Order: sequence, then structure tokens, then C-alpha cells
Amino acid sequence: MLTCKQVSNALSKEDYEKLPPLRRFFLKLHVKLCVFCGKFNRQVMETQDMCRCYREREEELNEERPKLDEDKKEELRKLLIAQSQDKTG
Amino acid sequence: MSKSKQEPKVPITPPEQWVQQYGDYLYGFAMSRLRNPEAASDCVQDTFLAGIKALERFDGSRDIKFWLRGIMRNKIVDQIRKSVKENQVDIEKEDEALLESFWFKYSGIATTNPDPWEFNPRKFYDNGEFWKVFEHCIDQVKNPARQAFVLRVLEDQTTEEVCKVMDINPNYLWVLLHRARGQLKTLLEQNWLNSDDK
Repeated sequence: MLTCKQVSNALSKEDYEKLPPLRRFFLKLHVKLCVFCGKFNRQVMETQDMCRCYREREEELNEERPKLDEDKKEELRKLLIAQSQDKTG
Repeated sequence: MSKSKQEPKVPITPPEQWVQQYGDYLYGFAMSRLRNPEAASDCVQDTFLAGIKALERFDGSRDIKFWLRGIMRNKIVDQIRKSVKENQVDIEKEDEALLESFWFKYSGIATTNPDPWEFNPRKFYDNGEFWKVFEHCIDQVKNPARQAFVLRVLEDQTTEEVCKVMDINPNYLWVLLHRARGQLKTLLEQNWLNSDDK
């Protein structure tokens, strides 16, 4: 069985999704049984879950995000042409 | 034999067309992470320049758009590092008390009694409008908690890396993430419950 400290360490410092299955099992078990960790770690997991969904939708959201300024685009375009010519030439 | 190995599986867009094709795409991502137009366009520029340099190593296994997005991950980290250097992260009084408390030291738990949600966010995961509000809320989380959250949660940096970039210790990172989660929840409750799209 894991201690509270180990559980919060796992949630804060490691990547929950990448934990080995057995460790993840004990982690979940602890969170289910422990009065102290339960609420807090559920909140942590909820946010992680929400952010995972958000990232899956980002491509879609990106279409409505701010666009690059036209002047800056022109400047960048010239810079890229110069840079790639430098490289090939 | 090795020739077919080197043949890219997807066509490579020449750098001259990158701005036209990926400029807005990358800028949108950079803005969502950095919130600052100047830093975001610097970030796009750095990404393109790094892309030209590394183009020989592009293996064509995925669209160049996503390859550039991968490069931009590092550039976002660089921009945050720069901004942290200009505006050093100090531990706030309230956070210091939490870090020093017996309970936090013993258990690593910031609070055992977080307020319950005023609504169940899961119900709205399929609603596109919810995610727009969500993004708007992330924008409003205060630095440095926001920066910690962006690096650790949205850009998938390891704890060690985030601590190095922000020049803080892992315990304080944990407190900052806790602050970010709390603010995000409050903001979501305010913004989503008052929105007409739910």
C-alpha cells in the first residue's frame, strides 16, 4: 500500500498515464480508500482529465485563435526565403 | 536499398511557403500558451528558423505542420524561461505558509477539503462552446501558476524540466499547480455558469 506522500508525489511529479499498471492500481486504490487523499486527488485527476480532452480539441479551437499580423508575415516570409537560400547556396 | 528509407512519406512544403501555410496555425498555439503577441510571434520565428536548420533531419513520418509544432514546444519553453528571468518567481506569503505546514510536509497534500464543483464539467465535454470558455479561463489564471500549468500540463514537460525553467523546487511547483487548478475551477464556475451556451 502506498502512503499519502507517495500518492501525491506520484500525481505531482510523475506522469500518471505512464505509470506501470500495478502502481497505478495501488494509486487508485489508495485514492478510493483514503479520506485525506480522496477529495484532493480526485480534483487533481479531474483537471488532468479535462486538460487531456482540451488538448484533443485544440486543432479545432485553433481556427478561432488570434492570427499572425500581416506585416509580420511578410517580414517572416522574406526572412525564410533568405535563410533557405543561404542554406542551399 | 537505403534510398527508399530516406524518401519522405509526406511531401515537404518548401520553407518559402511555411508562413502562408503554418504561420497562423503556429501563432494560434503560441498565443494560447504565452498570451503575449510579441513573444508569440518571436516564438513562431524561432520555430521556422530552427525548422530550416533541422529540415535535413525531417523524416517525413508525419505532416510537416505537426513536426513544426513539435519544434515549437521547445521554443515555448524558451519564451517562458525568458519571461521568468525578467520576472523572477518569488514564493508568496500564503504559499510559504502552506509549504511550511506540518500537514503538507507530512502528506504532500495541499488541501484535504477542496470545494465541490458547482456543476459537473464532464457533462459538457462534447460541447464546443465549453472548451472555448475553458481556454478563456486558462488565459486568466495568474502567473506564475499559469506558466507552471502550461509547461507541466499542456506542454508535457517533466517536473525536473519545469523546475529548472522556472527556477523553483518541486514542492513549490506542486503548490503552483494547486493554485492554478483552484483558479481554473473558480473561473470556470463563474464563466461557464453565466454563459448562455450551456
